[in-house]
Amino acid sequence: MTTNNGRTALITGASRGLGLALARGLATRGWNLILTARDAERLRGVRDELATITHVAALAGDVIDPTHREALAVLARGHAGLDAIINNAGTLGPSPQPPLLEYPLEALVEVFLANVLAPLAVIQELRHELKPHARIINVTSDAAVNAYPRWGGYGASKAALEQLSAVLAVENPDIRVYWVDPGDMRTDMHQAAYPGEDISDRPLPETKVPGFVTVLEGDLPSGRYVASEIAPAGIVTASVAA
Amino acid sequence: MTAALRVRDAADGSPGAVDALDFVLPEELVAREPPEAHGLARDRVRLLVSDPDTDDVRHLTARDVPDILSHDDVLVVNASATINAALDGWRSERGAASDELIALHLSSPVPWSDDDRRWVVELRRLTADGTRPLLDARAGERIRLRSGGSATLIAPFSDRAAGLPNGSVRLWEAELTCPGGVMAYAAEFGAPIRYPYVRERWPLYMYQTMFATDPGSAEMPSAGRPFTADIVMRLQSKGVVIAPIVLHTGVASLEAGEPPYPERFRVAACTADAVNQARQRGGRVVAVGTTVVRALETVAAPDGTLSAAEGWTDLVITPERGARVVDALMTGFHEPRASHLAMLEAIAGRRHLEVAYRAALESRYLWHEFGDVHLLIRRMAATAG
Repeated sequence: MTTNNGRTALITGASRGLGLALARGLATRGWNLILTARDAERLRGVRDELATITHVAALAGDVIDPTHREALAVLARGHAGLDAIINNAGTLGPSPQPPLLEYPLEALVEVFLANVLAPLAVIQELRHELKPHARIINVTSDAAVNAYPRWGGYGASKAALEQLSAVLAVENPDIRVYWVDPGDMRTDMHQAAYPGEDISDRPLPETKVPGFVTVLEGDLPSGRYVASEIAPAGIVTASVAA
Repeated sequence: MTAALRVRDAADGSPGAVDALDFVLPEELVAREPPEAHGLARDRVRLLVSDPDTDDVRHLTARDVPDILSHDDVLVVNASATINAALDGWRSERGAASDELIALHLSSPVPWSDDDRRWVVELRRLTADGTRPLLDARAGERIRLRSGGSATLIAPFSDRAAGLPNGSVRLWEAELTCPGGVMAYAAEFGAPIRYPYVRERWPLYMYQTMFATDPGSAEMPSAGRPFTADIVMRLQSKGVVIAPIVLHTGVASLEAGEPPYPERFRVAACTADAVNQARQRGGRVVAVGTTVVRALETVAAPDGTLSAAEGWTDLVITPERGARVVDALMTGFHEPRASHLAMLEAIAGRRHLEVAYRAALESRYLWHEFGDVHLLIRRMAATAG
């Protein structure tokens, strides 16, 4: 039986992919969890699975919806505050991704809404529920810093998320803000980025969890990290720290 | 009252068998969260419809309610809105190193009192999974509340509702000092009351029915919770009259054998008229919730005719008293031995309740305020589509 460590993390997009792997990983390390995702059925399955290990609250909904964010804040109050927010939910945009000159602007608005505004809105809504020294992780991508053809919409949104994270970090020295690139993974989103292609050579999201755990439980300064390059002991082998 | 409901145990002793209304509720049949939390719309909770005359039982969902009613019927709903009745309080024990954090539950203003600072309150001790009654408080004790509020315990509330067999006190009459007044203070600093089976703290809107316009209930009048605009629209297009009453609920944490305490109610003239007219044309009076039964029966003459009234009611509806005006009741599933079961028995009869509760247990309906609902209604076959 896992020992509860008394800490609570909110994870968005927790019903599949990296969010699910992080929920499982943190549950086995004794974290209490507040999970949210749009897919109610899958989220319920995750909740039922992890409820045998730790205290899990799950609420299906869209973090773009202010009422849903308010409900998450009330849940956090019921847990006597949050030690971590993991803004993992995000969207790729149209699949296959269009080149920028042909990118439908209404689709781009949706991408920025989900990948930039929603994570900030979650932090704004939950700011009063954060315990001292709480950690915020915004999940980013190498498409935020490298120029890949057809990754302009998603990449630009993640670049905006990174800048927003960096400014949050300097504006709020009491909390740690991390923007973490998990790298390529065998997930539904990655498959949508490469429709019809075989992505079975990509590592499973579970392999990225130790890096995230180090960020959450170690003492790293705020900044940009690549999950696979974070040593378990908390020694960073390569990073672009803020 | 408890004894009246109790009959012998299931003859075959099989688990879940309901030979009586003295069943054991399996833990997995307790609704622990709002259906919306796992993506189920409010009106997708299950609806057990049962006919006390024929013992027919049908398994539907709440959104099928319009199919069961006819244009002759009147549906009476409770327009009371739930308040954030659970307040954080701090008790200073003499000699203790630090104050104890407790929960103070607002039940209602003191009945028939015109001092709006006098409230009936329940004190509860915090436990790992929720709260339990705190029974060792003393008159004169002062509970500190957030942001400069306080509650001073005046006296045990009423000699019959508050005293437990061992002489300890569960409900107190208290004088509240709350900046801005009790209602505004609770709205800002309180939370909805919840019991250990509800694991999480949910926002107040999860506790409001679509009919809620008049704040004052300590606990959600939950039978109205599954109603949605879609259901109401379909009822109206079918010609079913929907009429409101207001009855503000007190705390629901009654111990076995405790009679219900007085509650505030209002039945307006338009509702009394609507109900009287429905009865004249042979329609059914369908109460949404036991609170509605209590309010309507309070203002019903012995022949069942309603007149408008408001005030406090201490009416307890038992099989002996019977129901004068209510023909049908939509309600949640009640705890074994709950005093509400006596009211259900008054409307539907003992034998039928056993049939319906056996069906609910066998078909794994969910109990409590976020759970499934039960419609007890006669002439079900005539109208069901």
